[in-house]
Order: sequence, then structure tokens, then C-alpha cells
Amino acid sequence: MQAPQKPGIHRGVSTYCWYPLYNVNMDLEDSFQIMQDMGAHGIEILADGIIDGYPYPSKEWLNKWFAMCDHYEIVPVEYGHWVESRLYRGRECTVEESLEQLIHDIKLASYMGFTCMRTKLGVIDEILTPTQIWRDVIRKALPYAEKYNVVMQPEIHAPTKLTDQMIMDYVEFIEKEDTQFFGFNVDFGTFQYRAAEGMPVFGDRTFDPSMPEDIIPLLPYIHCCHAKYYNVNADFDETTIPYVEVVNIMKEHGWNGYLLSEYEGPNKTDYNHCMTQVKRHHVMLKRLLGE
Amino acid sequence: MLEMEAIQYKGFRNLYNEAGEAVGFQVAIRFVAYRGPWLSQFRFGFVEVDGERFGPDKCTFIINGVEYTYDEMATLGRVKWPLKEACTILVKKPGGLAQGLHKVVIPFKEVASYIPARMDDLPEDGGFFVQSREMIIV
Repeated sequence: MQAPQKPGIHRGVSTYCWYPLYNVNMDLEDSFQIMQDMGAHGIEILADGIIDGYPYPSKEWLNKWFAMCDHYEIVPVEYGHWVESRLYRGRECTVEESLEQLIHDIKLASYMGFTCMRTKLGVIDEILTPTQIWRDVIRKALPYAEKYNVVMQPEIHAPTKLTDQMIMDYVEFIEKEDTQFFGFNVDFGTFQYRAAEGMPVFGDRTFDPSMPEDIIPLLPYIHCCHAKYYNVNADFDETTIPYVEVVNIMKEHGWNGYLLSEYEGPNKTDYNHCMTQVKRHHVMLKRLLGE
Repeated sequence: MLEMEAIQYKGFRNLYNEAGEAVGFQVAIRFVAYRGPWLSQFRFGFVEVDGERFGPDKCTFIINGVEYTYDEMATLGRVKWPLKEACTILVKKPGGLAQGLHKVVIPFKEVASYIPARMDDLPEDGGFFVQSREMIIV
């Protein structure tokens, strides 16, 4: 595998960009080819929808995964998974039921070569506060994350802001546990300051974004980011998120990790549109990163 | 391969008993999503054909060859409906569907713990989660 491992900011793609198209217009190998074309070596998969037979893939499927990573120079970066809390009607999952899901994904992610996990926890309110038992679940999973060498990362996603209490709680937890195996994935949608053209605005949503500099104190805990984009125009500028400011701050502070493209704009079922957007996004990122 | 739409043309036909009498029909659906549900998180309203509704008591669900009732699915939190598989819904309807064009409506969704719980339930009429397609019985 010749993909970049040196320090600095690297480019990658989340399979989220193309999710409605899988099994209709394209498959995982097509994604790898497109990523190789763009020199975007890091991949995030959404494990559930990408791994055939999830959560128990066959040896044959796993061998094909390794062969494709090798052939297309793809680095497994982030394994997207969920810890479901409302699995059954009328009650929340116990700590044990949550751990059963989480530990299985830790082992599978590690086996597939991933170093990070996007660990999506169940929520209890409108600002996406995680379930009451999250500390207990994560604390009990930490020895497994350490043994299997993967970092669990909740995704910090709008409407959550980087200055919210939830983030302070996560930081306090990381420091108290003195662990490197729990961190964040910051979704750049938290910086979105206006609606994208062609996108409906749900309910009374107003844009009250995080400021680019809000990311600075959190950088030590961030191992990869969702480089969310809604619209990259023909001049290769994202029109809803202050990319220049955010990426420059990350560069100046010497952040190391992957920016994983995550398309959430309109026309997600339009193959040509999604491919054009991801390529424009990587032209923009290459220029910003000075590649 | 799957079709892009949630309701699949593929698999839409009448069902017959050994005597050759039409006893119902089948229609297949897929999740246009980035994950498939655990069976316990599947929420289904009805299959409606030209205004006639068939609720969960008239339907069974085949996923990867295994047939489930809706009540059985509710207990299966560790069995996955794979994203790349369509679910074939078998609907009881003596006489089956007439040859020709039908408007098929199926509201369904999955429970997702990462969004607020107020979104767990499927509205009685399906609301935002209604899927529909014009389909032909040959």
C-alpha cells in the first residue's frame, strides 16, 4: 500500500457521498476507482450498508476488501457504526446490550484495518445529547478499543455546536479517563452558515454555526473529520461552509488526519451530479491543502 | 441489482395456491438509505393498492429467504435486513390483483436511535414516509 502515512492533512471520502447509488449504479469497487482517480486515499465506510453480510461478513468478502485496498491504494480510515439504544419498543438498551454492539464493531473495524470509528450513540433530545449511560458504555469499551487499536469518535453534527456543553462533557471524560481511544469527528456542517441552493430547510431551522476558531481547543481530540459539503460551484468553492478559514486553522495548528468528503446536498440519487460534486470538492481540497 | 426507487418493479406479481387460484400478491421494497434496519426497528404501515389497504395482519415479510410476521420482526433486534436486499411483502387478497395498472402505496421506515425519539413512530397515514409507484400486473 502506497497511500500517504506522513503527518499532515490527507484527503478521503465517506461512502455516505454515494449511498443511494450503491447496488443500483455502482458498487464499492467503483468507489475505490474514483477515489484513486482523485488521489483521495482515505475511506470511511458506513459499515452496515457496505459490508456484505454485516455484522458477520464472509472470509471471502473480507479477502476481497483487503485485495481492493491494496490494489487501489485505499487506506481504511473510519468505520461508521451505530450503537442503537432504541432497538426494542418501549425500553432503552442496557449497558450490556450496547456493549455487545460496540465491541463487535470494534473487533471488525480493527480486523479490516480501520484506525478510527464514527461511533454514533443513541440520543435523548433535540440537541442530540447522548443517552444517560454513554459514559458507562464507553468506559467499558475502552479496554477493547485500546487492545484493537481503534479510536471511538462520536460525530459532532449540526445542530450541535463545538461550544456546547455536550462537547465539554466529552472533553472532561477524555481527560478524566486519560485515554487516546475516545475523541471526536467534527462534521463541517457545524460551520454551515446558510442553506444550500435546492435544499429544503426543515421546520424553523436557522443557521447558528460554530465559528472556525472554535475547533482549535478540540484539535488534539480529533482524528478525522467529515468534510461536509452541500454545493461546490464551478469555481471550486463550497458556498455554505467557510472551508478556507477552517482548513487554514487546521493547517496552522499542525493537525494530522483525514478530511473525509461527505456530500449532503441535493440530488443524491443523481449519479452524474454526485460524481461532479465530489470531484469539485477534491479540486477545492487539493488547492486548500497545497497538494 | 436494486432499482433506485423504494418500491421495486421486480417481484410484483400475483400469488397462487396449488389449485391455481390467486390468493394474494407480492411486492418488494428496499431502503433507499445508508443502512438496513435491525428487524425490530422496522416500522410498516400498510400496502395500499388503488385505495385498498392491507395492514400488517394481512402481510408477511421475506428477507433473505426467511418469512416473518410483523410481530416476529419486533422481537429480532440482532437480525439485520441487509441494505442490498429487497424485502418481499406477501399480501393476502383472495383473487389477487387484476391485470393492468395499479397505484401502490407503502409507508415504512426504520427507528434510528441517533435522532430524537419523537421521530420513531410512523404516522397512521404514513406522512413523510409514504412511498408510491405505478405498477403493472401482467
